[in-house]
Amino acid sequence: MNKKRERDEHIEQLWYMKEGGEDSIDALKSALNASYDTDITDELLSEDLVELSEENNKIALTKKGEDYARQLIRAHRLAERLLYDVLGGDYESGACEFEHTVTHELVDSICILLGHPRACPHGMPIPEGECCKRSSRTAQSSVIPLVELEVGQSARVAYINCKSDQQLHKIDSLCIRPGAVVTLHQRYPAYVVECEGSNIAMDEEIVANICVWQNPEHLQAAGKEALAQPGGKGNQWGRFRHRKRGR
Amino acid sequence: MTGRLIRKKKDNSDSPSNTTKVKKIAIVGLPNTGKSQVFNNLTGEYTLVANYPLTTVEMKRTRCEIGGEPYEVIDTPGLHCLYIHSEEELIVRDMIFKELPDIIIQCIDANQLKQSLTLTADLLELGIPMVISLNAIDETARKGVWIDSDGLSRLLGVPVVESITVNGLGTRELKGAISKARRGKWSLRYGKIIGNGISAIESELPADASFKRKIAVLLLLDDPFLADYLRAEYGEEKVAQLKKEVNRVRRQFRGNVGRVLNNKRSRWVDDIAENTTRKQKITSGEFSKTFGRLSRHPVFGLPILAFFLVTTYLLVTHVAGYLDVKLSALLLDPTIEFVERLFGAEDGSIRSQFWYDFLVGHYGILTLGLFNAIVTILPILSVFFLMFGFLEDIGYIPNLCVLTKRVFSRIGLTGKSVMPLVLGFGCKTMATLTTSGLRSRKEKFIAVYLIAFAIPCSAQMGIDMAIFGRIGIKAFMIGYGALALIELCAGLALNKIIKEEERSDFMQELPAIRFPRPKAIVTKTYYRLYWFLKEAIPIFIIAAAALFLFDKTGILDLTKTLMSPIVEGWLGLPRDIVDVLLLAAARHEAAAGLTLRMVDAGELNYVQCIVTVVITTMFVPCFANVVAMCKQMGVKTGVAMAVAINMSSFILAGILNWILIFTIGRWVL
Repeated sequence: MNKKRERDEHIEQLWYMKEGGEDSIDALKSALNASYDTDITDELLSEDLVELSEENNKIALTKKGEDYARQLIRAHRLAERLLYDVLGGDYESGACEFEHTVTHELVDSICILLGHPRACPHGMPIPEGECCKRSSRTAQSSVIPLVELEVGQSARVAYINCKSDQQLHKIDSLCIRPGAVVTLHQRYPAYVVECEGSNIAMDEEIVANICVWQNPEHLQAAGKEALAQPGGKGNQWGRFRHRKRGR
Repeated sequence: MTGRLIRKKKDNSDSPSNTTKVKKIAIVGLPNTGKSQVFNNLTGEYTLVANYPLTTVEMKRTRCEIGGEPYEVIDTPGLHCLYIHSEEELIVRDMIFKELPDIIIQCIDANQLKQSLTLTADLLELGIPMVISLNAIDETARKGVWIDSDGLSRLLGVPVVESITVNGLGTRELKGAISKARRGKWSLRYGKIIGNGISAIESELPADASFKRKIAVLLLLDDPFLADYLRAEYGEEKVAQLKKEVNRVRRQFRGNVGRVLNNKRSRWVDDIAENTTRKQKITSGEFSKTFGRLSRHPVFGLPILAFFLVTTYLLVTHVAGYLDVKLSALLLDPTIEFVERLFGAEDGSIRSQFWYDFLVGHYGILTLGLFNAIVTILPILSVFFLMFGFLEDIGYIPNLCVLTKRVFSRIGLTGKSVMPLVLGFGCKTMATLTTSGLRSRKEKFIAVYLIAFAIPCSAQMGIDMAIFGRIGIKAFMIGYGALALIELCAGLALNKIIKEEERSDFMQELPAIRFPRPKAIVTKTYYRLYWFLKEAIPIFIIAAAALFLFDKTGILDLTKTLMSPIVEGWLGLPRDIVDVLLLAAARHEAAAGLTLRMVDAGELNYVQCIVTVVITTMFVPCFANVVAMCKQMGVKTGVAMAVAINMSSFILAGILNWILIFTIGRWVL
């Protein structure tokens, strides 16, 4: 393990401890086990990233340290999001079916974000995409919150932002989950969403947390059965438009 | 509905004695999937069924014979999965964990196969022999969806019985399948790390513990209610030990265990659903769907609601009024004549005034008791319950949740408390019991209070309509407008007073609009009337006898004199209205009967009539409701609420009286 990574790990762990309301050196030691290193904590102290008080057995991030940690945690969790929710990756088997589940738009977006790389880490060439030819600079989001759909439109769920596992379970038990096709029926006085043959009335906050694929091709490519859904009008998909990101 | 509660208690009390011999069948399933209907079909008993979730809020159990063998059948409230979201789901899981039923019948609404399969996955993991009753199979056929029930049975390894429960079709097959109930195939795998983790947790559980695997999974999912159960079963020490093990497994597994478990289950469900359903590509537009959409539309929804209200009002007023007249002529008049002849002397005077009054006098046990119930109230309730049953069975009522959502969130009711309030228009007691699902004490308090306060329950609404029917629809609108306003203000006030900001999520499944079966509605109305008569007639007669006694001893007169400043001065009502208020304390319907009589006799004018209806609607929630309130909020708070409600009903009805006198009173009087 290189030095930077070890340092980062200490800082990340301090952030986790802060989230858990802990600030003792012992807690840090036990959380990091063997990788705990006093050289590193000294170094962090000298860089003004942590506050340390040996006699009180206390250690905590400084303002500067917190800013640094925030960046780390953000990157870490965004990556988790990308791998886990959007791409449907599986931590356990390690088999991330990236190329099978991702859309052209998303690949383009990633390509744009990465600055149109030419080769993969192993040195093999990456085929050019439309975005490379246009050398686009702005990525378009292909996932939008369900609230931004128009009444009567259907879309496939990409992922769900949940404030708690409890809420996720509840939503999951109604069959609203990544991959499911939902139709927005009504906005006012309450949202009514149809999913798998049942209508569910919901708060705006919950509907806003459900994110769906914006473009119809994904819906069509991935869900032949979605088109055949009873009561759904087959031609409705044609009415999809790329909506401007209003908010 | 006290009768149902009491009867249930009786059933409960005699069941634990020899439970060891009789096999237990638990009927479980998602909300509104026909569990109670299956229960009725299997046992030949009647428990209330309707086309909306939360119809059943308590366990119901009975003994019956199926295929020559005795069974105890248990009907349960809806359950989404074994990971618990609310208290009413908890009682189902607790029943399964503690009573260990021998057979589980899972009811599945064929329209919502996927949602139900999530629960199936959980139930299979328990290892209890199962049968699946695939209900409403006629509706999927109409929608162009075909479910391969044999394939489903093969994949799950348990018998699957197609049925149309509302017609009782499939009941025979279900009875036959019960003896063939089997432990299903457990084909869901969670992967190596989690699988090993589950085994590790399982081995920490006591050797004789039941459902070890499922409990291990639930522990990994961090089920909020499970610790209590385990603590009660195996003690504090074991729980701490288990927690340690669970944390170890969680740490070992990078990522969110809960999500992975859920995803695996979802994939399993999708696989099975995809392999067993075929969908037609095109279907004709459905009237029921359109109607459902319109009935919760912000613009069209209100006229539809108004239409139903006015129709009910007209039916209650005219049909029930007609029946009342007919029944009076048939029953009441001959009885009075008979009593007159019995006690009458030659010269036309009456020999025993006491007995005459006791039977058919102003407070006679026949006139104010028995015939008040049968002649006046019964026709009103029959007509109203028929209409209400119709609305229940088409699945209209939950749509009101959507229409009223914004109003309710203004008064501090977010999320789950909307549905109980809407259910209050059916039966306040049942609605109060459904509030046990509310986590936030503030919402629970407001919901319980508002349900008990100015919401008329279905019986109350029926008789209110009948009274207003005597003086015109405008009075109906004024009276109910006033009640709505009062309820709203009460909600706003409570929302301001009680400090606590914890919003629950509003997620309410809306039942599909269905064409109801007339027979089902008639049966339901029959049972409602039967329950009403059974519990109300004795109360009517006792209340009448009590009033008679108070009258003869002079207590009644004293009370009237004492209360006259309030009644006559503040409320602007005649002093005889004290009789109505006293009767309302016993039973609202009895009070309504007397009110009707007073209206007919011209003892109440327009304004007085409205004030009387408004005060009796708010006044003293019925006894069963008070019991339910105490159960939900604790005895102290429950009683305090009841007192507060009565006090405010006097104050508010007085204010209404003065407002009416100064506005419309002038030109009406």
